[in-house]
Amino acid sequence: MNTRGQNILLWLTPVAGLLFLVAYWLFPAFAPPLSPTLSPEEVAAFFKENLTAMRGVVIFGNIIGALLVPLFALIAVQMLRVVNSSPIFAYAYIIAAGIGITAFILADFAWGIALFRPDRDPQLISLLNDMAWFFLVAPVGCVFVQNLCLAGSIYLDARPDPVFPIWVAHFNIVTGLLMLPAAFSLLYKTGPLAWDGSISFTLRFSTFIVYVAVMFLVLLKVTKQQVEQEGVAA
Amino acid sequence: MSTIATAEREPVSQPTEPWYKNKKLDQLLCFWSIPVFYNLFGLVFVPLSWMMPPRAPESDLAGVVEFMQSPNLLIASTILILSVGLSAVGNAMYAIQMKRMSVSPVLRFAFIAGAMTGAIVGCLFPMFCFGLGAFREGYSPEILQMLYDFGYLSFIGCLGCFFLNWSCLALAILLDKNNILPKWLGYYTIWQSVTEIFAATVWIAHTGPFAWNGLLAFWFNMVLYVPWQFIVYYCIFQAIRKQPESELYNSGPTPRAAYA
Repeated sequence: MNTRGQNILLWLTPVAGLLFLVAYWLFPAFAPPLSPTLSPEEVAAFFKENLTAMRGVVIFGNIIGALLVPLFALIAVQMLRVVNSSPIFAYAYIIAAGIGITAFILADFAWGIALFRPDRDPQLISLLNDMAWFFLVAPVGCVFVQNLCLAGSIYLDARPDPVFPIWVAHFNIVTGLLMLPAAFSLLYKTGPLAWDGSISFTLRFSTFIVYVAVMFLVLLKVTKQQVEQEGVAA
Repeated sequence: MSTIATAEREPVSQPTEPWYKNKKLDQLLCFWSIPVFYNLFGLVFVPLSWMMPPRAPESDLAGVVEFMQSPNLLIASTILILSVGLSAVGNAMYAIQMKRMSVSPVLRFAFIAGAMTGAIVGCLFPMFCFGLGAFREGYSPEILQMLYDFGYLSFIGCLGCFFLNWSCLALAILLDKNNILPKWLGYYTIWQSVTEIFAATVWIAHTGPFAWNGLLAFWFNMVLYVPWQFIVYYCIFQAIRKQPESELYNSGPTPRAAYA
């Protein structure tokens, strides 16, 4: 066994980051994000005006979402090296990651369908836009459970030389808690908890970006340690 | 509750061991998240949203509009979002028992894939259909009715993933030579997966026993499903308790990794 495959997949994470920066710079459709208070007619007008930028977001979003799958898969693989009484945390992590990524892709598709025929009834455009924001911002329960599972497996790691350092567990709990309030975005149309608010949007997504970047660095170190400990060829 | 589990586990070995030192703590923590999940799940779908028991597919349009705009649907959606991640833990609970069985890994991997898909199409998506109706006033009755149909049909008509899951579980139990779960549970689980197929008629019938609120397509399934869900988790709890310490990955002089 060697870790070359792990390394190739791991380096897809900075590729996703790079694509995110490119998309953010080329297609600034969500800076600032759409307000939930817009009427269906205003939403439809916004889509028509920002057709190119939003299509860019949709296409890049689809690819960026998929490019993050390997990071979660790698975390799961390393969780299976962690020694608990059973692989329960790793299995739960895999399932929760699958649900979370699917929710993200559904958000992306809802926008894509709205943009495919922007002349649709404004009510339908607005509905697809609401659906996209629901799936983009709100389903934090999955990522929260993912983080709790990773933290739990680290806290209970019985190896004399733990796979992950303990601070990674604390980090996962803190970032999970910072993203959790976005679940309440369905209940508000204005203020910090609304989907364009400082908590549900800015805090949630900046936390997620920091989380992905930090976990990339953590995994870089963990896979290198695996080579040293298990003598697998890089 | 964890203390009880510790006390009952292996009375001969270190009875003074505190609960948090229990070697099976990972499995016990995950196990006790299941009642939390199902209580919240019940709260969301019954007294909070009154989505269950199911409303009639042929409700009059005014009734559908009124239901789809009730603000409780958004509170129900929020609680579901907060708890849906725990469904992953509940499903992983089956998968780790399937890993202990003398069966091919394909059964648990197919189960895991089905659990991912099922949580989205049979749980989160339907609830969001109801939440979307309530989120914005002024959607036309036709749109609200489409969301109503989409919500109910994907919730009750989501049978493929669960048919796959329960079939894999039943097959694993019956083929297993390690007797991790009792054989009768395997046969009961076959019945559970067959009832999922019974719900197929909800995609066609608007009224009568085969509709989504019908006697055969819904209530018959519920009568089988609800006790099954309790029994299967009870059996899994027994399986965790009975798992010998020597089989645990974190016991013995050299702890070993579980891998896949």
